[in-house]
Amino acid sequence: MQASAIGPAEEPSSILWGLDPIFSAFARLYVRDILQMTESTQVPGIYFYNSHPINKVDILGTVVYKRERDDFFCYGVDDGTGVINCLCWKSDAFKEEDHSVREKHSVEAYGNFNLVTELRKLRQAQKERSCLDIGEVLRVRGWVKTSRQQREIMGSTYYKVNDPVMAVQIAWMMEVPRLYRECYNKTIQLNPTATGDSSVSMFSKATNIIKDFFKQKMVTRFRPYDIQDLLQPLVFSQPQKAPEDQQPVAGLSACQQLHQLLKKVLEDLQNEGVIYRRVKSQDEVYDVTVQDKDLLLAVKDVISQDSKREKHAEKGCHILHILSAVRQRHSLNVSRAALELVLKSLECSSDIVSTSDSHYTVF
Amino acid sequence: MLPAAAVFHFPWEINSGAVKDGESVRTFGRLVCYQPEESRATLSAHHAANEHTVVIHTLFVEPFNPILGAQYLVLGEIENAEEVDVRVQARVLNCIDGVNVALLQKAINEQRSFFRERECTQDGVAQPGDAT
Repeated sequence: MQASAIGPAEEPSSILWGLDPIFSAFARLYVRDILQMTESTQVPGIYFYNSHPINKVDILGTVVYKRERDDFFCYGVDDGTGVINCLCWKSDAFKEEDHSVREKHSVEAYGNFNLVTELRKLRQAQKERSCLDIGEVLRVRGWVKTSRQQREIMGSTYYKVNDPVMAVQIAWMMEVPRLYRECYNKTIQLNPTATGDSSVSMFSKATNIIKDFFKQKMVTRFRPYDIQDLLQPLVFSQPQKAPEDQQPVAGLSACQQLHQLLKKVLEDLQNEGVIYRRVKSQDEVYDVTVQDKDLLLAVKDVISQDSKREKHAEKGCHILHILSAVRQRHSLNVSRAALELVLKSLECSSDIVSTSDSHYTVF
Repeated sequence: MLPAAAVFHFPWEINSGAVKDGESVRTFGRLVCYQPEESRATLSAHHAANEHTVVIHTLFVEPFNPILGAQYLVLGEIENAEEVDVRVQARVLNCIDGVNVALLQKAINEQRSFFRERECTQDGVAQPGDAT
């Protein structure tokens, strides 16, 4: 009967809970479901609805029970599916009545605006909104707790909802089923090795392999066939693993796939500015941007020379100015992304200093 | 102790015998009659060309400001009284005049169909599990 009841064996590992977006949201669950959720065996205070880990909820309902203590109210809230106790702490506004009276003498009126009076009005309004009677509508956001075998909500935010024509309640009743259908009732597979779309993940894996390779071997320039072998294991391990997923490229041979992947990776790395081609010729040679000493030197020279000029003396050189100068001096194919990487790397080594987000100078 | 959850029922369901004695309900209707000496109010609603009335025992919510002709929301327990078939022992009686009744009905139906749908799928899921 309970969809929420799952065995401890099925409970996802706590390390994966953060991957579920519902975990970090105040879930608008029905009170009935809040009462029936199973508590986690790993971490008390966490509950499971439909294998979604939940510790915060957001509810709206009619107050059907009220008990007042010195520090808090205890409201029984009925949303039509269940009744739950909500512990609502009184704010300081409740205790500070005497203060506001004492402070009266220091009041200075600026025109009609009197800060102390306004503050008192605000406190009054706050107080009115937090003190409810039976039959009034309350909205509570808070943490789900179990104390003395009773499930309750430890309110973090709560207020009386003025709802004379039930507009808020109706809107809530319409919205919650939608939230259930779109979020809470959908099971998401919290799987540490889940990588989503296989072609996308293969692409990102490939990009990372290449980037790591550049870093480890301090590659300065290369031709595509130099790095082609690096991607081979990715492509050749793919078809055995998921032949169905590869439908669209099924007609291609592994070799063609490899070429395609490489082309895509190189394109992406160029867009990121990680690599660039100094000279565009038949011979496909790529330079690794931050390893290109000539480029770094060129950029440094441009900045150190031009920031001495009166025009740039105050703010330093603008990135677009540097870009055009470098293109003239070094290579026409330097992209802005590549230049930004170079500037970042020069700044990290304190060769240059940024004066704003797009101006650079040398001391 | 917390009372039981008051589930939404349409006024025409209250007298139809669909709700049991002692069950907590919430319903709505236009206040057509109030007899303070008997603590008895009558709500009425139109449905399928019929007028349906719900008798409310108002002892626990008095004094309240009765506005004849206004929409009210009542929350309470069903009890079988002698003089009428069924009456609602009110715990909450709120004036909600100006409410969009059609929209409220839609919202109630929406909620019901959601629960029905969920129970169906759960039964569907639960049965194969039970069989093994």
